[in-house]
Amino acid sequence: MTIQLDHLVKKYGRQTVVNDVSLEIEQGELFVLLGASGSGKSTILRIIAGLTSLDSGSVQLNGRDVTRLSPQQRDTGFVFQNYSLFRHLNAAANIEFGLKVRKAHRKDRQARVTELLNMIGLDGLGGRMPAQLSGGQQQRVALARALAPNPSVLLLDEPFGALDVKIRGQLRHSLREIQQQLQITTILVTHDQEEAFELADRIGIIDRGVLLEVGTPAQLYRRPKHLYTANFLGTANVLNARRNGKTVYVGQVSLPAPSETEHLQNQDVHLVCRPEEIDLALEQELISGSLIGRGRISNITFAGSLERATVQLMDISAAKPLHVLLSPEKVRSLGAIPGQEVFVGIQDFHLLPFQEN
Amino acid sequence: MREIGPKNPLQILLILLVLAYAAALIIAPIYAISDGAIERGWQPIKDTLQDDGVQHALRITFEFSIIATLLNTVFGVIIAWVLARQRFYGRTLVNALVDIPFVFSPVIAGYTMIVLFGRNGWLEPTTFAIVFAYPGIILAKTFVALPFVSREVGPVLESLPIEPEEAAYTLGASRWSTFWQIVMPGIWVGVIYGVVLTLARSLGEFGAVAVVSGGIEGKTETATMYVYRALHDRNRIGAYSISLVLGAVSVLILLVMSLLKWRLDRQRG
Repeated sequence: MTIQLDHLVKKYGRQTVVNDVSLEIEQGELFVLLGASGSGKSTILRIIAGLTSLDSGSVQLNGRDVTRLSPQQRDTGFVFQNYSLFRHLNAAANIEFGLKVRKAHRKDRQARVTELLNMIGLDGLGGRMPAQLSGGQQQRVALARALAPNPSVLLLDEPFGALDVKIRGQLRHSLREIQQQLQITTILVTHDQEEAFELADRIGIIDRGVLLEVGTPAQLYRRPKHLYTANFLGTANVLNARRNGKTVYVGQVSLPAPSETEHLQNQDVHLVCRPEEIDLALEQELISGSLIGRGRISNITFAGSLERATVQLMDISAAKPLHVLLSPEKVRSLGAIPGQEVFVGIQDFHLLPFQEN
Repeated sequence: MREIGPKNPLQILLILLVLAYAAALIIAPIYAISDGAIERGWQPIKDTLQDDGVQHALRITFEFSIIATLLNTVFGVIIAWVLARQRFYGRTLVNALVDIPFVFSPVIAGYTMIVLFGRNGWLEPTTFAIVFAYPGIILAKTFVALPFVSREVGPVLESLPIEPEEAAYTLGASRWSTFWQIVMPGIWVGVIYGVVLTLARSLGEFGAVAVVSGGIEGKTETATMYVYRALHDRNRIGAYSISLVLGAVSVLILLVMSLLKWRLDRQRG
C-alpha cells in the first residue's frame, strides 16, 4: 500500500472541509479524486503533501507514518494548477531545483535534467524562462520538476485546469504515458469527469468533504452506489420505482430486477438509467430491452456524433423527461421530430435506495 | 511601454502643474543650497569639511545610518514576511503598529526613549549608556525609518503567489533556503526601494536624534544637528557645506538604486 489515509478530518472554523476520509492506494496506481469545486478534494491532496495541517487522522506513505512530518520530509512531487514555476529560473534550473536541494552531483543533475526534458518532450528548451513558454509547456516543466528527485508519490492538483481543451488532451495523454512508464503512484484531483474517466485506474468521488465511494470508472458509471455519483458522472435518468421480489415496478410497468440489487428487497428505489441505454422505436416489437411504455419526443438537439433527445413518458405520471442519446441511424429510422410518439425501452439500468431530495 | 499620444489641454496643464510643483519643492532648494555653498568658491567648503568636529559629525551620521538601515532591512523583511505569510491572532494590530514611527513626532519618539532608557527609566541599562550616547542615536535613526522596508516589501510579497514556495517545500527546500532562493528574487526591487528610503530617512533624521543624543559637540552631534547649530551660530558656510554633502549623498544613493533597479528589470526581460 503506497498511500494510506486513515480518518482524515480537517476543519476551518466550524466548517468541516474533509470529513473522515479513509483511502488506500496501491503502488503504481493512478487514482483520481473527483468532486465539485469546494468539495475538499484539493485539501486532501495538500494534507498528503504536508502543505495543510489536519485536525485528526493519519497519512502513511510507503508504510511510513508521515502525519507529523514537514512537506520537506515526505518525498512527494506536487504539481499545481497554475504551474507555479520559479519565475526567475529557466526551465532546466526549475527541474534541477529539487536535485540541488538534495546536493546531487553536478553531472548527475545535468543528466537527469536532460532525461526529463526529453521525457516531457521539451528537448532543447531548457534555457527558456517560464515567461517564454506556453501554458502547456510550463505545466510540462512543472511535472518534470516534481518528478526530478524521484518522489515516491506524485500529487497533481487540477493540473490541466488552466489549459485549453486541445492542450489539455495532449497533456493528459503525456501524463498517462509518463505515469505508466515510471509506475509512480499518483493522485490527481479534478472536477472534470471526462478527465477522470480518461486517466483513472480508480476514481474516488468527493462530496462536501466526504469520500462517497471508490471504484473503477466503469463501476462508478454503471453501478454507482450513490445518486450523487450517478448524477455527477454524466447524465442519469432517475425514475421512482419499487422493488418487490425479483420485479421492479415503475408506475404500471414491471421489469426484471438486476441480480446485483438483491439487498434492496421490498422497498422504494430509484431506477437509474443512462441516456445511451434507452431505446426508442415506432413499433413495440422493434424495441430492444424492456418496454416501459410510450413517450412523446419533446426536444432534439444536435450533439456532434450523436443526437440528444428528451422524451416525456406518457404512461408514468410525474416522471421527469428522459434524456436519450440517438445514433444518426436511429434518428433516420424514427424520422424523429418533436411531438412524435414513440415506444420507449430500457436496456441496462441500476437500482439505488430511495432518498428524499 | 505605453504609447505616448496626443494630449488634451487638461493633460498638458496637469503635467505642467507636476513640473512646477517639483521645481518649487525639490529643485529650488537644491539649487539654493548648492549656490549658497559655493558663492565664495570651494575653499571655505574644503576648510569646513576638514574640521575635526565636522568630520566626526559626518562619520557618525553615515556609520549609524548604515547600521540603522541594515537593522531595518533585516527586520523590515522579516516583518513583511510574517505579516504577509503567517496568520496569527493580533496580526491586524501588529500591521497597524508598524506604522507608528510615521505618525509619531520624532521629537516625542526621542523623548520616549529618554523616558525608557534614560536615568531611572524603565529599561535603563546598567553597563552602558543609551541616552546621550551612540546607541541612542542608532536607536532613534532605526525607529524613525522602521516602516519603510516592510511597507515596500509587504505589498510585493502579498502579490506573489504562495505556490512556488510550497513547491520548493515539497522539493525538499527548507524555509530558509526557500526564502533566499525563491522569495528573495521576487522582492528585490521592493527591498531596494525600502533601503533607499530608510537610508535617506536615517541620514536626514533630526528631531529624535537631537532629543535622545543631547547633541554634544564633537561627540554625539550628527550632521543634521551640526547644520542646525551652524545656522544658529550664523555659520552659513558650515551649514551650507554639510547640507551640500548630505544632499549630494542622497542624490547619489537615489541614482545608484535606480541603476540597480533598472538592471534588475532588464535581467527579468
